[in-house]
Amino acid sequence: MVEELFEREGIFVLGLVFSLIVLMISVGIGAFSRRLTRTLGDYYVAGRSIGALNNGLAMVSLALSLTTFIGLTALIIQGLYVAVAVYAGFTSAFIALLILAAPYLRRHKSFTTMAFISERYYSRNLRIVSVVVMLVVSILYLGGNIKGIGIVFYYLLNVPEAYGILVGGLVVTLYVVMGGMFGVTYNQTFQTIVLIFCLMFPVAIILQQLGADGWAFPPLGYGNMVPDMQEVMPHYFWPMVEHPVTYIGIVLGAFFGIIGLPHFVMRFFTVRDAKEARWSTVITVFLVGLVNTTVYATGFAAVYFMQDKGIYGEVPAAHYDYMVFVLTNALAGEGWLAIAIAGSVAAGLSTVSGLLMIMGAGLIHDLYGSIKPEVDDHKKLRMSYWAMLAVGIGVTIFSLDPPEFILEAIMWSFGIAGASLGVPIVLGIWWKRTTKEGAATGMIVGFLASIIPCFFILIMGMDPTEIPIPVISTYLYGPLGWIKVFALAIPLSFILTVVVSWFTSEPPQEVKKSVDVMHGWEDYQEERYNGLGLPIAVIVFSILIIASLFTLYDTFA
Amino acid sequence: MKDYKLEVWLTVVCFILIVIFGGGISSFFVLGVDIFFEAQEAPADFELGDTLYVVKDYVLGFPLHYFLMVVLSWLGVTVVGIIWSLAMDRLEERQKS
Repeated sequence: MVEELFEREGIFVLGLVFSLIVLMISVGIGAFSRRLTRTLGDYYVAGRSIGALNNGLAMVSLALSLTTFIGLTALIIQGLYVAVAVYAGFTSAFIALLILAAPYLRRHKSFTTMAFISERYYSRNLRIVSVVVMLVVSILYLGGNIKGIGIVFYYLLNVPEAYGILVGGLVVTLYVVMGGMFGVTYNQTFQTIVLIFCLMFPVAIILQQLGADGWAFPPLGYGNMVPDMQEVMPHYFWPMVEHPVTYIGIVLGAFFGIIGLPHFVMRFFTVRDAKEARWSTVITVFLVGLVNTTVYATGFAAVYFMQDKGIYGEVPAAHYDYMVFVLTNALAGEGWLAIAIAGSVAAGLSTVSGLLMIMGAGLIHDLYGSIKPEVDDHKKLRMSYWAMLAVGIGVTIFSLDPPEFILEAIMWSFGIAGASLGVPIVLGIWWKRTTKEGAATGMIVGFLASIIPCFFILIMGMDPTEIPIPVISTYLYGPLGWIKVFALAIPLSFILTVVVSWFTSEPPQEVKKSVDVMHGWEDYQEERYNGLGLPIAVIVFSILIIASLFTLYDTFA
Repeated sequence: MKDYKLEVWLTVVCFILIVIFGGGISSFFVLGVDIFFEAQEAPADFELGDTLYVVKDYVLGFPLHYFLMVVLSWLGVTVVGIIWSLAMDRLEERQKS
């Protein structure tokens, strides 16, 4: 039974046709956008000309990657309530991005997050450090997404994932290289419309086939199926299988991770002004929430289906990433499967393009620009084309050996970005007293505190409770228990940034003035964003969060 | 109150709300398990321990806590975002004038 469900024979012609249409439109948009690209500003930030609606739609597809389609369903099968809580955190994170960072970064007039860190902390070295961090988190994020493209191509062509990775990776590289940020933005807007349609309609059909009364509105349409689920799986809706600090870890990783992930922040550098940045985020969170709540229904449907067929527990974990297509094929038919696959292609391309953009920009604008500041913009623009091409090819090859669960790599990416980039960005905006020494300490310690456990758990595949870091390993129990790493790394980064800043010299006056400018003030007042309340509150809550990680252990183990 | 202090306090309040709506609420469900669940003795063959937590209340067929998490993390935070953005639009107009 299990083998029958996952078996593919021959080429899936209908799916291939729909996917090729999406691919050709994407390349066409990239080619058209090349005409709009004249300057370095056009290439990196679309000339700062993008409106709120366009930017909001573009950010939706940037957020809703293949992990949404495929990975979240797989994660729900594995983690049940906790997995849904993870995505609840991701959805809310956009408002954290809105109120803590987005409009302020837009007023700062940087091209990239790394440029912001360099200028705010008056340090060329920190720019280089942040580029390194950006490359690490982007590769983690990309590896998961490009694997998803491989899965899609397995369904289209019945070929090994590696071929799909090669084709998908090279296509997206092509349109990013050609069109720059204009191409990326317009493609992401197109892909948002495609993926919302291609996700919600098949899920509605699936729910209808399974007997959901409210199938026409998937986010809240499966309530009548809950009693059946509770009968066979009473723990599906249990939050108490986890220590309560796990959910705080999710929030911290999501909220500060989205601020630290450069490809999200880069979207705000493309809008016309701070007001457009605010409202584009509101549009984004509403649409992202609509899609994510639909995927909660998909995950529920997948578990329900597996229980109903008696195959829950028999399907290998490595196949969970395929379940959304198995479900669509079994319950909605090949026509809807073709549409779902086309939507997946759109979702995958949009996120990969955004990541390639920031990686290319980071290498040329930030890294090369720091080493050779005298190079003119025209030469940087020409080099950017080659950098994008090299990054695209390099990441495609790197992704040929991807992680087992695509969403876990992305969750790690969020947490590491949060601990090393999100913290200095937020404190740099809201507390004038944050110094380069404080930021450097927080960034480096936050990075190490998250990347080292990531290496053991994600890369080496170790059980989180057995990693050779005794101070924390004991407490990483439970489904997705490793998320608690973020409840240590991010507060630690905050504490060190604040404490070291207090003991080092104040930032230069121009830097302090730039904080007022970011908040929209034309004049300068020393007292603004310079009090004791925020840093003290940050330290107190950070200590409380870390302390709670090590308490109540016996209650929840 | 000075405008920048209003900005800071509004942001703090909104941040607390989204922390709760976005994930902190699940911590509350764990710590306040008796509010949402009734603990019963689990069947002998139940693999997850001796206690069965039975949901007390439902909304649209969903367990109350699950419904709250789904709706607040989507619509709740959207409303917070709208309120914050409207307030910041007004502050920006005052700054310009």
